[in-house]
Amino acid sequence: MISIALQQDVAMKLDLNNLTDEQKALQIKNLNLFYGDKQALKDINMSIPKGQVTAFIGPSGCGKSTLLRCINRMNDLVENCKVEGEIFLNAQNIYAKGIDVAALRRNVGMVFQRPNPFPKSIYENVVYGLRLQGIKEKRKLDEVVEHSLRSAALWDEVKDRLHDSAFGLSGGQQQRLVIARSIAIEPEVLLLDEPTSALDPISTLVIEELINDLKNKYTVVIVTHNMQQAARVSDQTAFMHMGELIEYTDTNTLFTTPDKKKTEDYITGRYG
Amino acid sequence: MEHNINKHISGRFNLELENVRNHVLNMGGLVEQQLNSALDALSKNDAELAKKVCDNDYKVNAMEVSIDEECARIIARRQPAASDLRLVIAITKTIVDLERIGDEAQRIAKVALAEFHTDQQHLLVNIETMGRLVLTMLHDVLDAFARMDVQRAFMVHKNDVKIDHEYEVQTQQIMQFMMQAPNTIPKVMDLMWVVRSLERIGDRCQNIAEYIIYFVNGKDIRHTSTDDIEKTL
Repeated sequence: MISIALQQDVAMKLDLNNLTDEQKALQIKNLNLFYGDKQALKDINMSIPKGQVTAFIGPSGCGKSTLLRCINRMNDLVENCKVEGEIFLNAQNIYAKGIDVAALRRNVGMVFQRPNPFPKSIYENVVYGLRLQGIKEKRKLDEVVEHSLRSAALWDEVKDRLHDSAFGLSGGQQQRLVIARSIAIEPEVLLLDEPTSALDPISTLVIEELINDLKNKYTVVIVTHNMQQAARVSDQTAFMHMGELIEYTDTNTLFTTPDKKKTEDYITGRYG
Repeated sequence: MEHNINKHISGRFNLELENVRNHVLNMGGLVEQQLNSALDALSKNDAELAKKVCDNDYKVNAMEVSIDEECARIIARRQPAASDLRLVIAITKTIVDLERIGDEAQRIAKVALAEFHTDQQHLLVNIETMGRLVLTMLHDVLDAFARMDVQRAFMVHKNDVKIDHEYEVQTQQIMQFMMQAPNTIPKVMDLMWVVRSLERIGDRCQNIAEYIIYFVNGKDIRHTSTDDIEKTL
């Protein structure tokens, strides 16, 4: 086949099976997860590249949210949950003994389906993590607030009411505030669990645009029920089904010429 | 991979894809009939039939426009992905080639409106033979489209060399005729255009074969040698 590869394509196309250490943000190795007797994740192996957006898609109960939660050990909080295998972040297995889970979660931020601002002012929401770290210097805090809100594309809308309650914001603004709160503590990885499923289409597009801006600085992993959203925002897409990783490849390929029949059936809306 | 376009959860989507595919087949049927009639008109010197072909070309054009509209609607409302997306793309391209084949048939029919001298008849007979070969090729590629049959599409693709060879032979013959009887050049040039049209139809059938392979296998085999295509199939 003759085709002139556009520069952008060349830059984006990574060999996901052979990422160099420099390209790799996360590496998941032989990951199995059980809720009691029920196995929710089956031998997951994948590398997630740095500074890109990776989407997990699949039907309800396929394990995509569970997998996302493994990345900052949110599943530790679930009773009867047993995790086997390894996840490497910067060559460090986050499931190794003696890992400081609080430090891990500072490094791996998470945003949920429903915006969950704290019952505080916009300003206090953003600096919450820094105050926990004991940072008190007002100039530093002001700086972080402006920078984080700008990064979250919210600054212009709230700069005149930073000390008003966060609950006065719209759903889409609240979700951006939560993203600003996550990036205020400068994580490396940002996990987004269906971040727009409670938002209207325009707020959704604003968040998607934001995700695109964020990826230059952070590694973004997103779980979404909305396939078109995965197609729009992600560089790589992983399709999961019944706890297994069925297909994981660059988004362009997955949505035009998927390799596996299960993937094809799911993304085209066919009976499995 | 199986390509059942009627297995979507959405019954309406099944119907829309099924309809657009059927419309392409109808359009293909009409184009095949147009070419067949044009060839008949030329070989039998049937001006009435030739005129009918010319008059019917608008139907082919109208079908192209309405199928394009259907495809645009499907893209806007269904956001097709994977094989569905490839089907819609393959269809929008196929109908462009079908419409152009329709134009070539009309061009041949226009030549058939004129009368040819008896000593030019042997040229017409040879052209008719080439025309039947091209018509079979069109029939086969439409058949491959209906069944979404990659092997059949590939056979059509390979067979284009026969048409190209025939084209060489016919042009040689027509040129020789013109050299021997220069006063017939204006008339015989028209036959040269017919041969050229037939050769172009062969190329367009080859294009359609490529779209079928793209739809079914997800492989873009344009501008690839036959040997290389065979390896990828």
